[in-house]
Amino acid sequence: MIQIILHYIKRKWARLFIILAIIGPGLITAFADNDAAGVSVYSASAATFGYQILIITIPMTILLALTQEIGARIGIVADKGLGDLIREQYGVRTAITMFILLFIVNFTVVVLDLAGIKSALALFGLSPIFIPIIVGLLFLFIVMVQYKTTERFFLFTIGFYLVYMLSAVLAKPDWGLALRSMVIPTGPFTPRFIYTAIAVVGTTITAWGQFFISSTVKDKHLTVEHIRYNRWEVYFGAFLTDLFSFFMMIAVIATLFIHGIQINGAAEASIAIRPFAGNLAGVLFGVGLFVAGLFGCIIVPLSTSYAFSEFFGYPGSLNEDFHKSRLFYTILLIQLAAGTLIILFPAVTLFSITVIGNFVNGAVLPVIFYFLYKFVNNERIMGEHRNSKLQNVLLVSAGVFITIASLFSVAGQLLHW
Amino acid sequence: MLYFAELAGKPVVSSDGASIGRLHDFYFLAADQPLITKLSVTSPVGPLYIPITSVKTINGTIILSPDHESVEPTEQELSIRNHLLDLQIIDIKGNKVVRVNDVVIQQKPYYVIAGVDVGVLGIARWFNVEQSLNKLLARFGKTVTSDFLSWDDVQPIELSRGKVMLKREETKLTRLAPEDLADHLERLSLKNLTKILDLLPSTYEADVIQNLNVGRQRDLLRNIKPEKAANILARIDPDEAADILLTLSERRRKLILPFLPPEAKTPIDYLVSLSKTDIGDLATNEYATADPEELAGKVKTRLKIEAAKLSQLSYIYVMNKKKELVGVFNLQELLQQDNDAPVYKFMTPNVVVISLTTPKEIALKKMIKYKLYALPLLNDKREILGIVTIDDLLETMERRLI
Repeated sequence: MIQIILHYIKRKWARLFIILAIIGPGLITAFADNDAAGVSVYSASAATFGYQILIITIPMTILLALTQEIGARIGIVADKGLGDLIREQYGVRTAITMFILLFIVNFTVVVLDLAGIKSALALFGLSPIFIPIIVGLLFLFIVMVQYKTTERFFLFTIGFYLVYMLSAVLAKPDWGLALRSMVIPTGPFTPRFIYTAIAVVGTTITAWGQFFISSTVKDKHLTVEHIRYNRWEVYFGAFLTDLFSFFMMIAVIATLFIHGIQINGAAEASIAIRPFAGNLAGVLFGVGLFVAGLFGCIIVPLSTSYAFSEFFGYPGSLNEDFHKSRLFYTILLIQLAAGTLIILFPAVTLFSITVIGNFVNGAVLPVIFYFLYKFVNNERIMGEHRNSKLQNVLLVSAGVFITIASLFSVAGQLLHW
Repeated sequence: MLYFAELAGKPVVSSDGASIGRLHDFYFLAADQPLITKLSVTSPVGPLYIPITSVKTINGTIILSPDHESVEPTEQELSIRNHLLDLQIIDIKGNKVVRVNDVVIQQKPYYVIAGVDVGVLGIARWFNVEQSLNKLLARFGKTVTSDFLSWDDVQPIELSRGKVMLKREETKLTRLAPEDLADHLERLSLKNLTKILDLLPSTYEADVIQNLNVGRQRDLLRNIKPEKAANILARIDPDEAADILLTLSERRRKLILPFLPPEAKTPIDYLVSLSKTDIGDLATNEYATADPEELAGKVKTRLKIEAAKLSQLSYIYVMNKKKELVGVFNLQELLQQDNDAPVYKFMTPNVVVISLTTPKEIALKKMIKYKLYALPLLNDKREILGIVTIDDLLETMERRLI
């Protein structure tokens, strides 16, 4: 009945309805950027570098909006996912190489998100023994429940980000300095800083996010008339993601950084939301981190499985029955099970691996950008919907810049510059 | 049998010993018998297109006769790399869409594309690990066989090369039930969807279009030329045609209508004019559903309980996990089944449906024509919004009818 009512609304508010109907891919991927891997690296970087880290927020938002829009546009015009196109244009060998690379980087994110669940459990004094049980239940959940239901469930995580926003305001940060730091560098660009900055970029603009947006857009069969609406949804999603990240970092800076507290675990990280949550901070942070971890553990392994189906053409969709897409679910299970094994080692904790894990994701971005550039400028694929000059300049320079920055920061760290 | 994965990149020499380059691709005629006509060679002087008549042997090293010349491929010739390899095809026998991992070439009596390999071995061959993979799996007591599909059983999806249209004889697709083919085509891009439809004989094409979901039908009619749209609509049932037209904007409809031949235009015009009546408020959500995999016995016991809550029960609608309507069966059909028969075995996949824009008159006509007591009301994604029963429908039309 609800849909019938919607039909009436549609008549009067056709335009609004179109916007509502296509909302989804852009916003969901945007929210998913703030999974446990994201929360931890935003916290860790802000606690270490304070206001200085804010310098990356503006370029990062532009780059996120740019790349997600390109990914979505390719999905709409070609009616194909990034995996489909890589396979079709570059053949089996490239497809396998890219799949292995994607598998590795996605796996690091899965491990980070599982580590987030582990940290959350630790905050409640629960043993990591529960992780295999939780992962088992999670897998059953993914197999049994419709993806759409999952999507809605995770809109709850927005509540967690709002807590950060309120805490940031209540902590009375130096807003003037915060805004200035977004445009004027307030510290030296040391290799350590650049390394961390790439990790922050890598958790925001992700390889899996690129694959994910083009396949979801393809699944929705959006047609070229939707390009304009979709573009604004993606831009809005990118803005919102980074607004959340911004407030998260501000909250951390105003509570941890100015008191010189380094984050060694979830207990310290939870101090950031104390201005709002008070004594409940630990509990609230634990719950938030747990849900954010679950979110990442669903969406990231799924995107690997989706990419696999695209690369190799096996039937793969969450909406198919288990026996029909066994391979799809096997890949899902391998990631979760292997991740669980790693995470059971006591030495592996979220905040000890967050920067390196996310750095890996940042460092592979130029490879993804290369494919985006190739496809979006291919006349046979995109027709009149190719990139503008400005978009190309931004995309290429971002790729070159991240490559150089990654090499510089790794070399700097190894050689102790 | 030759495998393209094993041939690609092999050295090409002239029979007088001169090195020419490496094998890149094969060109073939898109026809019932996909004859290979040329091979393309990457050479230091640029790409060469050598007619197959100049090829002496292909096994081992590829040897050309010394007087070979390069001839540009014509529009009739498709290439393995651009039109087949790594792309999706419809597997007609297996009734699914799969990706081509390797292309199999038959040597005798002519060079012909025998078929495609869509299995794991097809991928392994590109890495020269076919043998090792087999040995490895044998150790675990497993064997992989090549997933070979013969050319007769496949339909390539990417067919474009210039403006060439494949010949109409390409009717192997008609071996699929129209609703199955519609299912596959729904997932393709609009461009490929249109191209495949063009291959089909016209009556079958109309059947397939009728079976596409409303969203896809609308996309199709929006994006093809009005003449062509009218041409398709004229060939399908006027009720259905009017139904599809009503999902389009009025402007688009007015573009298409003039192109309809008069004999089709009159009934369709009339039916479209009825569109002011709204069917949405007649729909009820009192209906029973089943899962395709569910067993008949389970459905029977379940319905025994559910029936108490329903004011009427004639049909059970089958929905997949995406909540899309995939079939229907009635109580009589259900009662005849053994308890261990799964629903998908006995359901009717071809369901008569209506959408929110369907006029009441068309709904009634469909009920009378197909002898149905109720019709499911679907949205663009083939999800059920509710059902409209004949008694509710008649009640609202009473005044006009009597």
